[in-house]
Amino acid sequence: MAATRAGPRAREIFTSLEYGPVPESHACALAWLDTQDRCLGHYVNGKWLKPEHRTSVPCQDPITGENLASCLQAQAEDVAAAVEAARTAFKSWSAHPGVVRAQHLVRLAKVIQKHQRLLWTLESLVTGRAVREVRDGDVQLAQQLLHYHAIQASTQEEALAGWEPMGVIGLILPPTFSFLEMMWRICPALAVGCTVVALVPPASPTPLLLAQLSGELGPFPGILNVISGPTSLVPVLASQPGIQKVAFCGALEEGRALRRTLAGECAELGLALGTESLLLLTDAADVDSAVEGAVDAAWSDRGPGGLRLLIQESVWDEAMRRLQERMGRLRSGRGLDGAVDMGARGAAACDLVQRFVREAQSQGAQVFQAGDVPSEHPFYPPTLVSNLPPASPCARAEVPWPVVVASPFRTAKEALALANGTPRGGSASVWSERLGQALELGYGLQVGTVWINAHGLRDPSVPTGGCKESGCSWHGGPDGLYEYLRPSGTPAQLSCLSKNLNYDTFGLAVPSTLPAGTEIGPSPAPPYGLFVGGRFQAPGARSSRPIQDSSGNLHGYVAEGGAKDIRGAVEAAHQAFPGWAGQSPGARAALLWALAAALERRKSTLASRLERQGVELKAAEAEVELSARRLRAWGARAQAQGHTLQVAGLRGPVLRLREPLGVLAVVCPDEWPLLAFVSLLAPALAYGNTVVMVPSAACPLLALEVCQDMATLFPAGLANVVTGDRDHLTRCLALHQDVQAMWYFGSAQGSQFVEWASAGNLKPVWVNRGCLRAWDQEAEGAGPELGLRSARTKALWLPMGD
Amino acid sequence: ELDLSWISKIQVNHPAVLRRAEQIQARRTVKKEWQAAWLLKAVTFIDLTTLSGDDTSSNIQRLCYKAKYPIREDLLKALNMYDKGITTAAVCVYPARVCDAVKALKAAGCNIPVASVATGFPAGQTHLKTRLEEIRLAVEDGATEIDVVINRSLVLTGQWEALYDEIRQFRKACGEAHLKTILATGELGSLTNVYKASMIAMMAGSDFIKTSTGKETVNATFPVAIVMLRAIRDFFWKTGNKIGFKPAGGIRSAKDSLAWLSLVKEELGDEWLKPELFRIGASTLLSDIERQIYHHVTGRYAAYHDLPMS
Repeated sequence: MAATRAGPRAREIFTSLEYGPVPESHACALAWLDTQDRCLGHYVNGKWLKPEHRTSVPCQDPITGENLASCLQAQAEDVAAAVEAARTAFKSWSAHPGVVRAQHLVRLAKVIQKHQRLLWTLESLVTGRAVREVRDGDVQLAQQLLHYHAIQASTQEEALAGWEPMGVIGLILPPTFSFLEMMWRICPALAVGCTVVALVPPASPTPLLLAQLSGELGPFPGILNVISGPTSLVPVLASQPGIQKVAFCGALEEGRALRRTLAGECAELGLALGTESLLLLTDAADVDSAVEGAVDAAWSDRGPGGLRLLIQESVWDEAMRRLQERMGRLRSGRGLDGAVDMGARGAAACDLVQRFVREAQSQGAQVFQAGDVPSEHPFYPPTLVSNLPPASPCARAEVPWPVVVASPFRTAKEALALANGTPRGGSASVWSERLGQALELGYGLQVGTVWINAHGLRDPSVPTGGCKESGCSWHGGPDGLYEYLRPSGTPAQLSCLSKNLNYDTFGLAVPSTLPAGTEIGPSPAPPYGLFVGGRFQAPGARSSRPIQDSSGNLHGYVAEGGAKDIRGAVEAAHQAFPGWAGQSPGARAALLWALAAALERRKSTLASRLERQGVELKAAEAEVELSARRLRAWGARAQAQGHTLQVAGLRGPVLRLREPLGVLAVVCPDEWPLLAFVSLLAPALAYGNTVVMVPSAACPLLALEVCQDMATLFPAGLANVVTGDRDHLTRCLALHQDVQAMWYFGSAQGSQFVEWASAGNLKPVWVNRGCLRAWDQEAEGAGPELGLRSARTKALWLPMGD
Repeated sequence: ELDLSWISKIQVNHPAVLRRAEQIQARRTVKKEWQAAWLLKAVTFIDLTTLSGDDTSSNIQRLCYKAKYPIREDLLKALNMYDKGITTAAVCVYPARVCDAVKALKAAGCNIPVASVATGFPAGQTHLKTRLEEIRLAVEDGATEIDVVINRSLVLTGQWEALYDEIRQFRKACGEAHLKTILATGELGSLTNVYKASMIAMMAGSDFIKTSTGKETVNATFPVAIVMLRAIRDFFWKTGNKIGFKPAGGIRSAKDSLAWLSLVKEELGDEWLKPELFRIGASTLLSDIERQIYHHVTGRYAAYHDLPMS
């Protein structure tokens, strides 16, 4: 008989039945680092870039602290080189037919499949996450992402006709949670024809490895460039000429700061912020399964952040008992161990959670910790925080990994109020076996993703994103593609940066206006007042501004709106919102059609007012007719909202819902005083928003004429029109925290201000940077872009089975 | 004893349980010595079973010998486990073979219990009177554990009181013998029914609840097991009584048996990992475990003739 290999411990284990170590060999990860001589540079244009005279940062094993490699830190010129490579690559990459790009993505998926062990061991080694999750989850999903987007690329010419790739995308990633964050964004960008420069934090080798795998595939070396460097490089990257979009994923305050920094810059900004998730546990739930949902969310290395847990009071004791019991069985340890639930996340994450838990305790919370967790730094046990006073700072703050903050609610209505009462709008799960209740909560939650009786499911075909302060950028599904597309023929984004724009004083004071005589001319006296809450009101300032016609004569006076009037208008819009959003698309369409008919009845008045602004009579009549057509068209288009997605491996549908944004502020352009006003009003209303509009500054009278019809047709507050100084009103709207989105068509400076001010509540903004738009053209005046910007997506997962 | 409020409010979400079942198999593995020790432990949980129409005293005798000596002696010595007295937990046979088994085990000089299936196994579609009589006869023959099948029609029509009464009568007929109640989960229609039947069986005094007969199309599966284990935990929390769990049918590989051990460890805890509270009903599993132990000890893969058959 051969020599025995059995160790001495079998006897003890036979009695204790404990788990042993299941180490995953990371030899291949180390061997790959050796090929780089343990010194990682940047991967640019299909080659390693290791410039001299750069500082380097050590890449350490987060658990042992062992030095794995040193990583060179990029400087501005390295960034420039990467962007240049991406610009060059963009010319050929975007010119190729989608099928060619699809082939490249599929080849990359195959390469990942062949080298997946290298990928998962390297990722787990440097991030400290449980290798099981990387191996069975992330690496598989990465391949699915490439395959899904390859299909999108191959059908791009038909399916996405009328759209073109933006150009070079700057991608900014947070200190690595998972390389998937990069995959979610580069896949759609590359698929539609964009090229990417990714700025990753120091010491993130996996993105570099992926760039290398992609680069070595051959013909398109410069499409994916990865540079690693400090966050101070973010503005450098964003302001490189040629960068058309910056996709940022990371912490809330960093995103907010970046929004302010990039105001007026040429690059568009997409933000995906925060990591917290939410779980609603009702008394009609399978509590044990909901507890597993909490484990999936916070204690399994699947999601990046912590969890806010709302439990119905009647099952509070039961849920807490099961939760605590389950926590006791969690295992934490070295990520490369195949039998742990949680790894470690490095010193920074550990410090963050320690601070949070200490503060929560000092604010009166109860803290429960359990699980089989190594006691040394940087491991941190699964933590359950309860009894946190609702008004305490910790109850408002974002919950860090691996903490679950539990609080009770009494009714489903209260659950919605509590859940929607946070500034975050990422993802949430609802646990209830009652279909009606689950759907009510699922539709009511203001978040980007809702899972019913599940948590943390992901699929390439399902859009993932958020609203409110989670940022409004999307990845996955059709929404992920549109992030990197713009309507064909749109000129490349230009910078409208005005360095000496003073944000503190822009639009602060209203220039005083004096009476300029009395109205003359044939037309009847124009309507006067601010159209707020369904009727014309006198402005708070009790003053007016004169409006001239094209020959310089006085056309009429309009009310001088101010901050208080904006406040009133936003309030009125909010009051009207629930009723309007609850209407069926058909009912909304009927109202828009009624307005269209009213417009046609008023045609002669409107045309004569347009004539006084210097428009030929024929053109004026055409503008009125086109406006009426726009109203009817949007009413019809909004009928088809959202659709059902089928997801591999999931029984049951995923609904892609298109929900209204809320109160939308619209600052109309000077030109096309009627058509532009109606073209913006129609999609906004059709998708269920209520609006506060600032009409054309040159001729607001047309909009006020329309208001006369809205006063009789529309519910009060649905559309509010405030006239006055445009800069001043823009300032009030852009800084308003309770305006959910803003469209601005005015000056370059105004655009820059709106972008800067939107950082306050991170409302999505759409600005024209002082460029004129052809409102009479179908593409620019009524294109699908307006529909996309008028609503936000929500993915509702409905797994089924009995 | 019967409290229908324990089952009236229960909710079991099928897809969520399926996901948990998938995860639990991927999240825990054991390697090296741990694997060897766990496999030996698994041996002590096995109800070594033969339930065939062609069972005779000779293959029952061979089965009993294998129950007494489940792993080759030199392998146990190499693992320093020879003196642990490792045997299977019981042998499980048809009522007519109980006498053979008792005799064979006595001859082998050991006190491994004999389990007998009863009550019209596997379908349970005979008269209550004959089913009860079957139990009494098996006990008389020397079976100390009785695996009864429940009347599925009572579950499917929601007659929980009637189900409770029947199992109470089984319990009475068993006398001192252990009562293992087979739920035949493959025929109960839904996981919610599995939970309810588990609860009723425990309230009626079962010592074990068992997944299946091994004769249905769907046998011991992880989703079903998760629901039954959760019911066992709920029952323990409500009454303080620990009820045993026995998966049976379709558990053939050593790897499967490890997954079942970790499932019980994860859902109920270490105190359930003993033969009084956990059994695995299996016939071919033992030889695969022995094969793995052989490999662990020698570093080689065993040929068919290297290990004695059961």
